[in-house]
Amino acid sequence: MAPVCIGADEGLNAQDLMKPLSTDWPTFNGDYSGKRYSSLSQINQRNVDKLTLAWVVQPQSVGIKSTPLEVNGILYFTTPDNVWAADARTGRIIWHYYRESTGDHIGNRGVAMYKDWLYFETPDCHLISLNAKDGSVRWNIELADPKLEYFSTMAGLVVHDHVIVGVSGDATDVPGFLESVNPETGKIEWRWNTEPQPGEPGSETWPQGTDAIAHGGGMTWMTGTYDPELNQIYWGIGNPNPVLNGDIRKGDNLYTCSIVSLNPDTGKLNWHFQPSPHDTHDWDAVQTPVIFDDEYKGVHRKLLAQASRNGYFFVLDRTTGEHILTAPFIATNWAQGIDSRGEPIPNPKMEPKPDGTLVSPGSDGATNWMAPSFDPQTRLFYMSARRLWSIFYMTAEGKPEGWAGRDRNLWANSTLEAIDYQTGNIRWKHEIGDGEGIAGILTTAGDLLFTSDNSDNLLALDPATGKTLWHVNLGARILTGPTTYELDGKQYLLTPAGGLIFAWVLGK
Amino acid sequence: MRRPTLPLYLLTLFVAVAGLAFAQGHVPQPRDQPNEDPAAVARGHSLFKSTCGFCHGEDATGSRAPDLVRSPLVNHDDHGNLLGPVIRNGRPDKGMPSFSTMGDAQIADIVAFLHHQALAALHSRRMPGDYPLAKLLTGNAEAGKAFFDGPGECSKCHSPTGDLAGVAKRFKPIDLQQEMVYPANGKKDRTAVVTLKGGERFEGKVVHADEFNIGIICQDGWYRSWSRDEVQVEIHDPLEAHRELTSKYTEADLHNLFAYLETLK
Repeated sequence: MAPVCIGADEGLNAQDLMKPLSTDWPTFNGDYSGKRYSSLSQINQRNVDKLTLAWVVQPQSVGIKSTPLEVNGILYFTTPDNVWAADARTGRIIWHYYRESTGDHIGNRGVAMYKDWLYFETPDCHLISLNAKDGSVRWNIELADPKLEYFSTMAGLVVHDHVIVGVSGDATDVPGFLESVNPETGKIEWRWNTEPQPGEPGSETWPQGTDAIAHGGGMTWMTGTYDPELNQIYWGIGNPNPVLNGDIRKGDNLYTCSIVSLNPDTGKLNWHFQPSPHDTHDWDAVQTPVIFDDEYKGVHRKLLAQASRNGYFFVLDRTTGEHILTAPFIATNWAQGIDSRGEPIPNPKMEPKPDGTLVSPGSDGATNWMAPSFDPQTRLFYMSARRLWSIFYMTAEGKPEGWAGRDRNLWANSTLEAIDYQTGNIRWKHEIGDGEGIAGILTTAGDLLFTSDNSDNLLALDPATGKTLWHVNLGARILTGPTTYELDGKQYLLTPAGGLIFAWVLGK
Repeated sequence: MRRPTLPLYLLTLFVAVAGLAFAQGHVPQPRDQPNEDPAAVARGHSLFKSTCGFCHGEDATGSRAPDLVRSPLVNHDDHGNLLGPVIRNGRPDKGMPSFSTMGDAQIADIVAFLHHQALAALHSRRMPGDYPLAKLLTGNAEAGKAFFDGPGECSKCHSPTGDLAGVAKRFKPIDLQQEMVYPANGKKDRTAVVTLKGGERFEGKVVHADEFNIGIICQDGWYRSWSRDEVQVEIHDPLEAHRELTSKYTEADLHNLFAYLETLK
């Protein structure tokens, strides 16, 4: 009699995605909240110095910027054009999918998973559904026209029976959007456009009677978060176009540089908040809108927090978008105050000019796309910040198109910060050196914070104080965020560094 | 003495790391138009201005009629295969007349011009090294000298007849403006004094310093390093003054100082 494999389906169920982050890592941020806080505590403050190497996998690739998923003992990770499945116990590669493409190969954040299927975005702005068992292609659709310089890098978000995906590309003046596709067929279910139609709410924040609103940018670079109880998805939106010159798009330019709440079943807008009204410095507000429930001034609230590219930390009530708090997380020089909505007021004198404007932060931002973390035990919001200065040059003559200029970096150094969401105060800073930090952050119930400094050191910190508890030099930058999962009662810490992935476990 | 050859594994590692560094520092390369003919672009621009400019704007960025720089048709066109028919037939439903008598060569020139415009917009995020001095020279050189000698405190370390003599000749204007605020290669001038527990002191150029280790090259030429929890370290960074000054510049200071440095030829 032939042997059979009996057991539960190894694919990903909708219920698995609802769970707070624990033994698996089934979606880009671990779970829907974006906290990147794991309930695993086998690795903890008392034994972190006993961490030892479990295995290394070397897929012969460029730097890995994706967050690997781990579902039922299999890892799924990516680089542009590539998806790998690997054994989460040993690192051995199970299958490898490769599809050559044109377009910007700046990075890929990972795949989304639904049942037995993976969803992979490509540099030529396609969405490909792969069979998770063997990497074979089920279908392949174009999200937006790559000839208009759209590309895509995002790890999509699976919500109910929707795969929600977004696009990238601000080199040309094309409109951004978020869309939901059917996970079985790839057919579009809804599309939410960053720019409203003329006449719709928000359109008054663009010049009337011009084509600026049709070319306004606002890319959806990063994965959003989801509240199943409220049934709202929260998404950060990118900067407007033309990038460094706002003269032909006077107004706040909604919904570029905004945090929006949408209905995941219809794509309808619930509310918005705008971290960077009328941005002229490329400060995408696409950083993770982390959601958590906690007290504010003695009242239990449903909160949302974003440490935004422009140097400001925002806390909102995510039910309605009501503004709660705005505080700078690092010194900057571009705003002339906060308005009654809690939004920074850009100083027109700090806009890019032909002879150069000295601005902090530069276009790379006071933070960027790397994952923040919220630890419900310490009740602190952790993020990687930069002190960054650039000179911005506006070079367009005549009508500005595309970037219309560029900034040149002068210097940068970086620091990890623990922000008290109730006050905006920085509880502690941990300097991580010259240059721009790019590693994400993981916190765990083992009272640990994992990240990397700018000298290739993997760090384990005490999340309450920022003190270093353990470190090891990986010889390469962590270009993504550390993750953790548990198999056979053993907790693994995963740290992609450069083009390799290291897995750590407790030594015997 | 025979020079030792670099071990193969180190060479491979270097190549891998260099390749990785390139990948990490990758600036997205926009598509390049093969074989753009500047003469055709110029003829096309001239023809476009007189024939199409009234509606589409002289530089094709739109007026009564759409901005062609952002046109999907232009971006999909391959040597006129899509644009040619539109020019010849017009768009009667949208009010564009037909230019049925336009010759092949003229259409090719207009197509070259339109592709050039689209590419220029795409490339607008590149900072040209030859950015014209005239655009940067908005400050007052005398006020810049006063800043140099006064509140900028530049004269504490620099001299217009010493290290900065002829500095305007050594750098392109756009690079000089950047170097002025923060020299790109200044990190190599950091030095450190390392004091061991027994009191022994070592001094040298910093090769690497992070939270855990300090590595220096001493005057004898040898590299030495220590774990930071074993030693006391004092790092001297001459660029600290540049970092502190960055947040103090007013807009006027920046342009005045640059104007002054541009006189140091």
